[in-house]
Amino acid sequence: MPEIRVEYQEELQALEASALGGLDLVTSALTRTLEAVEHQDIELAQIVVADDDRIDGRYLEVHQALITLLATQSPVATDLRLISALLHVLKNIERMGDQCVNICKVIPMSGHEPPADAEMVKLILAMGAHTKSLISQAKHAFEERNVEMARDLVARDDVVDELNRDCFRLALAIGDDADKREWAMTMLLTARAIERIGDNAVDIGEQVAFVVTGLFREFEDASHPDPHA
Amino acid sequence: MEGRKLKDMLGSESKPGTEAEEGRNTMSQAGPVTETSSRPEGVGAPARPAKTLEAKEVNLYYGDFHAVENVNMTIEPNKVTALIGSSGCGKTTFLRSLNRMHELTRGATVKGSIQLDGEDVYGGGVDPVAVRRLIGMVFQQPNPFPTMSIYDNVAAGLNFNAGKIKKSAKDEIVERSLRGAHLWDEVKDRLGRPGSGLSGGQQQRLCIARATAVSPEVLLMDEPCSALDPVATLAIEDLIGELKKEYTIAIVTHNMQQAARASDNTAFFNLDESGKPGHLVEIGPTDEIFTKPKKKETEDYVSGRFG
Repeated sequence: MPEIRVEYQEELQALEASALGGLDLVTSALTRTLEAVEHQDIELAQIVVADDDRIDGRYLEVHQALITLLATQSPVATDLRLISALLHVLKNIERMGDQCVNICKVIPMSGHEPPADAEMVKLILAMGAHTKSLISQAKHAFEERNVEMARDLVARDDVVDELNRDCFRLALAIGDDADKREWAMTMLLTARAIERIGDNAVDIGEQVAFVVTGLFREFEDASHPDPHA
Repeated sequence: MEGRKLKDMLGSESKPGTEAEEGRNTMSQAGPVTETSSRPEGVGAPARPAKTLEAKEVNLYYGDFHAVENVNMTIEPNKVTALIGSSGCGKTTFLRSLNRMHELTRGATVKGSIQLDGEDVYGGGVDPVAVRRLIGMVFQQPNPFPTMSIYDNVAAGLNFNAGKIKKSAKDEIVERSLRGAHLWDEVKDRLGRPGSGLSGGQQQRLCIARATAVSPEVLLMDEPCSALDPVATLAIEDLIGELKKEYTIAIVTHNMQQAARASDNTAFFNLDESGKPGHLVEIGPTDEIFTKPKKKETEDYVSGRFG
């Protein structure tokens, strides 16, 4: 049977690649963000903030093209679920980019010579590294339509959540020094933002399950915590 | 004309006629009209529970050629079931077996049973003419009787009633049917004019009025909008949405989006290859067929990955 609707299929594939390419933009933003945090590099932070326009631009461009496909090609079944999932994923990507911006914006607050607590910095960097691999796993799970890999994101994200709690405990015990306490607060904001990036990666995993199974289910819901945790 | 067998009316064994001829045969052989008291009186009648049409192990043949095999499906009451599938897959052949029109083709035969609320329409002693009244059909090419007036077109089935109907009763049925077909307002001042003077969409609605005038249980529609422009098509789809409140409806359509818009359930027919019998691949609620079909074959067809 000769192939039909080839252009439409190719366009959909290209849009998927473009949407998931946004995750590469996020990973590079996060890498530079973590570097800026580690070295208190305000200039690098400013570059990340400015570059977020690229992530927003990717969101708008792919979003528009997907809406056009909906209007003109009457997609159904898997194609339709894929388009719906990509619209969600684009939003997740845009939020992840914004969280990097949030982190970069608090760096100048701690001044050029902050009283860094090495332990805290280590935790933040560990959270960041772990979250980067979560993003990579989410991307592969989507590309491969691998639901198991997607579900595994929940357990991996639990590690990030645990590290976030460790940051919190550390901050509580930071001591009486005002500067140190202020620095610790900005570190908590940073940890929180990284934790949110991780949650967005899990959301992408949920979209993988939707594309494959046609069922939309939250893997794990904050309002219904896992009784076995 | 009451109870006369179709064969007698046609004389020699029937050949597959043009759509128009078959349409005329369907209606001119209409049996006695059931008394209208079984329906709510008056115009804008509220919903009535319709009957279920059930196909069991239906196999259809043209001579030796096995055209459709082993269809088991339920056409649910007060719902629209769309039959989709590529050309030659047997959906129209199957549709025409539901009201015993398949056998009008020379050499065409049926195995299995088609039950209307449990009564086999192929049962011994069943009058096929009566079947075709209870299970009416609307065709792709609108086929109003060209020289008859709009009024007489609608009343055509009634005119063959053994007992005379009073004019006032006939007027009421004609108005009810035209209103039910969303045509009354457009034609009420020219009921005496010929049916052929109407637009394509109006003619099709006239044919629907004609079919409903004899109080059927089921309406079968064979690509009813294929010959119509997009606006007329949407008007008929709206009408079908109304008609299902009173009737059970099955519609063959080539237009995927129409099936998606206008039906409650969708049945997908396919052929493995040319020369093989068509068969039912999958049937289910339309929203499921178009969002997460169970079979890959169905998915490929509705997504347009094969014609």
